[in-house]
Amino acid sequence: MKRREFLRVGIGALASLPVGACIQLTPGESTNVPSAPRAKKKRARIDYQTAQRTSGVCLNCSTVCGIVGYVVDGELRKVAGNPLDPNTAGTLCAKGQSSPTIASYADRLIYPLRRVGKRGEGLWKRITWEDALEELAQKIGAARAAGHPERVAVHVGRSRINDVITRFLNAIGSPVLLNHRALCSLNKRAANYATIGDQDWETVDAERTKYLLNFGANFYEAHQGAIHFLRRVVRGRFDNGAKLVTFDVRLSNTAGRSDEWHAPLPGSEGAIALAIGHVILRENLHDAAFLERWCNVSIEELREFYAPYTPEWAAEKSGLEATTLERLAREFAGCKPRCAAFTNRGSQAHYNGFGNDRAVVMLNALVGSLGQEGGYCWISGEVSATKFPPPEPVPPAPKLRTDLEDPPEYPLANHWQKMRVGQIVYAYLQERRAKLEVYLSYTLASPLTWPEGRSRTVDVLKDEELIPFHACSEVVYSETAHYADLLLPDATYTERWGLDGRNSYELQPYVLLRQPMTPPPGEARSFADVLIQVGKRLGPEVAPYFDFADHEAFVRAQCAKVPQGSYASGFDRLKAEGAWVESEKPKAYATFERALKPDELEGSTTDPATGIVRKKNAKGVEEAIGLVVGGVARAGFKTPSRRFEVFSAIVKTAAAKVGVPDDGFPRYVAIPAHEAMTDERLHLVTFKWNVHTQGRTAPQKYLTEIVHSNPLWIHPSAAEPRGIRTGDAVELTTFRPLGQTYQPTGAELGKAVVRAFVTEGIHPRVVALSNSLGNAFGGRIATARNASREEHAGLGEGADDPDLERGIWWDAARGGSGAGFNINAILPIQPTPVTGMQAWYDTVCTLRRV
Amino acid sequence: MTSPRYAMAFDLERCTGCHACSVACKVENEVPLGHYRTKVYYQDTGRFPKVHRSFLPVVCMQCADAPCMKACPTGSIQRGEDGIVRIDQGSCDATGACVSACPYGALYVDPGHQVADKCDFCSHRLEAGLEPACVETCPGETIVFGDAADPESKISRFLARHRDELVALKPEKGASPQVLYRGDARALEAKVPEGRNHAPESYEIETWSARAPEQGQGGAEVQR
Repeated sequence: MKRREFLRVGIGALASLPVGACIQLTPGESTNVPSAPRAKKKRARIDYQTAQRTSGVCLNCSTVCGIVGYVVDGELRKVAGNPLDPNTAGTLCAKGQSSPTIASYADRLIYPLRRVGKRGEGLWKRITWEDALEELAQKIGAARAAGHPERVAVHVGRSRINDVITRFLNAIGSPVLLNHRALCSLNKRAANYATIGDQDWETVDAERTKYLLNFGANFYEAHQGAIHFLRRVVRGRFDNGAKLVTFDVRLSNTAGRSDEWHAPLPGSEGAIALAIGHVILRENLHDAAFLERWCNVSIEELREFYAPYTPEWAAEKSGLEATTLERLAREFAGCKPRCAAFTNRGSQAHYNGFGNDRAVVMLNALVGSLGQEGGYCWISGEVSATKFPPPEPVPPAPKLRTDLEDPPEYPLANHWQKMRVGQIVYAYLQERRAKLEVYLSYTLASPLTWPEGRSRTVDVLKDEELIPFHACSEVVYSETAHYADLLLPDATYTERWGLDGRNSYELQPYVLLRQPMTPPPGEARSFADVLIQVGKRLGPEVAPYFDFADHEAFVRAQCAKVPQGSYASGFDRLKAEGAWVESEKPKAYATFERALKPDELEGSTTDPATGIVRKKNAKGVEEAIGLVVGGVARAGFKTPSRRFEVFSAIVKTAAAKVGVPDDGFPRYVAIPAHEAMTDERLHLVTFKWNVHTQGRTAPQKYLTEIVHSNPLWIHPSAAEPRGIRTGDAVELTTFRPLGQTYQPTGAELGKAVVRAFVTEGIHPRVVALSNSLGNAFGGRIATARNASREEHAGLGEGADDPDLERGIWWDAARGGSGAGFNINAILPIQPTPVTGMQAWYDTVCTLRRV
Repeated sequence: MTSPRYAMAFDLERCTGCHACSVACKVENEVPLGHYRTKVYYQDTGRFPKVHRSFLPVVCMQCADAPCMKACPTGSIQRGEDGIVRIDQGSCDATGACVSACPYGALYVDPGHQVADKCDFCSHRLEAGLEPACVETCPGETIVFGDAADPESKISRFLARHRDELVALKPEKGASPQVLYRGDARALEAKVPEGRNHAPESYEIETWSARAPEQGQGGAEVQR
């Protein structure tokens, strides 16, 4: 459709757009009628005596804190932390505090829209939900009728409704649930699985610790469980005298506030951890009793394994002083068992990240801090189907597989849990390794947040042969939405249902209830409800799995086993209190030492050679349930040997399957792309700010007011020879990786022009740019454009926000620094060998002033 | 019943620079973009690899000898018995004299509603028995608040315990600021503007360095 013809169709702000009329949503190209006049009078402050108080769960980042919302005259005016959430005790970060600005954002999507014109042209027609649901049912039904349910994929960002999504996919027979775990925490989780057998992020007992060795985590700003951990680290440090030592290539807020900051070369974290382990064993600072009792290799084997990893060797790899590593080893082990070594992306998002993270976890075993007070603890935060059963009947999982959700090159990605390898999805579609008919995207900002995002990702999203039909559920007109065929306006996390929770730092299980604090605006509807309604339309094979009213009914069923307390039901209890803590359970210290109870042992057998206790589970399959240690059958670790595993047969076998040399020990592997790097080349890393997540916070005015600009951090010693000063435009050129990964050609990948920020707070060989900004979509705040609704894409409903008309002081048109840069277009897709984690921080680049 | 005497202090070693206080304040009080009641300054010092980052959260100092009060031509600013300096927005005529008089950049004139505004320890929340929004949300428990007239309150215990370590910002201005800091707050006080509201640009990363920022920013260009 030509723009001229489109204009004749009739134009209106989305709020007043009739069904069947069209609208242009490409930023800067829209034309609209005036919106409602705004209020002139300053409103009264919130009256807390009369405001309606409803508990819920934040989802402005992955930490999912319990919140309480205050609603006045139907508007969510304020969000605070829920004091009953054991992780937060009622505190909240800047992102959580920003929650009301999402719900009231004047540029929200409020009606279902169908694309008219070409995909990515931005022309849309308002349709009814009946039309939208029928079209979804028809497309999915057609794929099933053709015998290809696996050609229906759901691709999610941070959804937290995977219970509903998985039920939907299982019901229609598709295994293709795609996610972003490999862009986030895959290697970290894999390292915990391989060593201690736990599925979650670790839960360091920071409040009681004396010493923390932090390998590349920035929990003062980001991190899953950020403020859960942060507040306990602050207490541990300033109420309990703990020391915090941080290894990071960049001066994050965590690094900048640590007792010691050490900036190693990127990817050398494993070498550092191995050398610290070497010193601990060499100087006999280890916990021999723990190792002899629980480790799956002997102390002699450990000494042999650690022998080559001397501090001098690690100094060469990392650029840190050997004497520093020796000192840190002595200090760390000197605090045992009240000490912990832990990681995040700075360690795990490398080619060798799986080994790095295993080497760090092993430090906790060496000093016997695993499961100890003040040590390295763990507890699952999963909302399990056993404890929270979904409505019957539950559809069985399909037997099919495709390369999209189960790429054979990365056998450990789905070994322990289905972590997937999300970053290869678009590449594999391009290579025709899988075929899709229906692509449902949800809270997925992939053009912005994926490696090769605003390049390969957009190419594939635009290609109607590779993605014949794309329906997108979003709160705002995002960059993913722009390339969809059907737009489903989503409810925010303060407008919908769900059960949620994380690993509890109080080491006791708990759950939180997300419930609507207000109804969604316009016709916005939660994606869970959309799937349930589509499921009902898919005929007698599918519909019986959706024989309940809506997502609320689904969640109510899940709460059947929650004790009712003084309420009419467990569901009512959660609606009133927002949280349920199993406070009678013992804290999850040293769970591996727990003696198995007689009823657990009934019908079990013990392998005389290994001491492993086995028993048939409910499905009749024999599984290990414990280990005889010291003459007592104990729970042990949830690893195949029921011990702490330094050697992993799983890793060895998986690596052999894909031709990667690996003896099952977490040996240090040099990063191929970093070998023989010339001085001309620099390391390029990305990072998160405390007020932003990668994809979802940019439209929130008070967050983006604080951080909207993301220049490239560069050290003076790298800037000066290149003639670069703060504010200069610099051209970055990036290169593909080398080694056993995707397209390891070393060839040039792309160029981008960004602005420089010269700072002492970065390693001289590293440059850094945040991954959160550079939005081209998402409304006026995200794109840093002051405009009236008449001049801008006319979304939302109700009165406009004067801040969006003229308050965006960082608008480049007003001399501000603009909306920032998005660098992901030129970061290569690089899954780590065997596991599949995106090696975000291996990128090699050159830099010149332009 | 005697009035409470509200007081606040910041224990800076606990501050993580997270901006939860700034955002909580802006949402609670509907503060327009470009203006602040609560703000957190950043400063990097040292040379690689010995570099350190400091934070300084700043609110209205509720001065005992408040320059804003003296400057207000309409008498709209009063210090209550509870120690809180408040603006009567009904009689405020938005001349901005208070903004110019403040040594701490604490006041601004709301551009939409044309009234002066500043931190009042979230008086409407205190009336409802709640803590100020910044205090309630602070993950690091950096902000200590309470009734200084009650010896058992958090603030009284904090003030008693750390009496010799506490400093005020810009004491030489003679305003007798009532908000105190534990830690090296004065190392960052040059960042706190005088005679104008906190400049929004002071959040830009280029201002973090202790050295003067250089100019120049702009949009991205990605070539393929």
